[in-house]
Amino acid sequence: MSKKVLLVDDSSTALMMEEMILKQRTTYECVTAKDGLDAISRAVVEAPDLVLMDVVMPRMNGFEACKRMRLESTLRETPIILVTTRGEEEYVEAGFQSGCNDYITKPIDSFELVTLLHSYLGE
Amino acid sequence: MSNISNAPGEFERNSSNEDSGSQAKVYAARMRLQNAIDQADALDAIREIAANLIGTEEVAVFKVDKKRSELWLYWSFGVDPNKHSVLEVSREPKLKSVLSGKSVYRLRLSNENLLSTDDPVTALVPILVDGSASAVIVLFRLFPHKTGIEAVDREICDVLSHCAGRAIEPYRAR
Repeated sequence: MSKKVLLVDDSSTALMMEEMILKQRTTYECVTAKDGLDAISRAVVEAPDLVLMDVVMPRMNGFEACKRMRLESTLRETPIILVTTRGEEEYVEAGFQSGCNDYITKPIDSFELVTLLHSYLGE
Repeated sequence: MSNISNAPGEFERNSSNEDSGSQAKVYAARMRLQNAIDQADALDAIREIAANLIGTEEVAVFKVDKKRSELWLYWSFGVDPNKHSVLEVSREPKLKSVLSGKSVYRLRLSNENLLSTDDPVTALVPILVDGSASAVIVLFRLFPHKTGIEAVDREICDVLSHCAGRAIEPYRAR
């Protein structure tokens, strides 16, 4: 059975690009959400094997969504990778404080993304 | 086991991966612009493409005046609009090339700015409507971790140049 990845971003451009990269380069199944709140409900229903989530989003940002996902028993161990525009140390630290496993910076490099996801999910 | 024997295969895998990543970015840019539902959405598409695919959250669109001697700020995101309200073509030599339809990029190691402003300008991209430059997209400072414009970014800028007409001409058909 293929692994499932939940992609979360309020930008349809980013979602389209991420989905296309994963469809071309992996066997993972993709599901999507538009913001942090949407992501939590989708994650509870879909039980993804990994969450790739933007930080800056309307309604609920990625840090808060990450914290709340960690309170759900079914999502406590799910790898969460945050997508950020900033690689600065304090921003990265805030991501890890919220419970994420890793982060990747925008604009996403396809090789970096696929390598990172393979390291969590296998090829 | 020798690492050298694996090198060609690894290179092919990497370059193939980069190709598909580039294709994905160019495709996403084109689809986002072509599917923009109205002018505001087309301007938002420019912002999204700049931030998510190229790597800057400082972008502005300048419209060309009828005499083609000045460009007026039409829309911006992440920059102070008061600092960039008008660009005079006579004072900005790079704009002549842009108004002829060619994008201009800051070279990776160059300190030369593309416009006479304190804010670093990374690219000047004409928006072509019926083959003529009707406006110019100015991409300012890149994210700190992004070292410069790459080949794929130039392809994305080509898409912006040819597909962003709706951002400045509200009634333009998709």
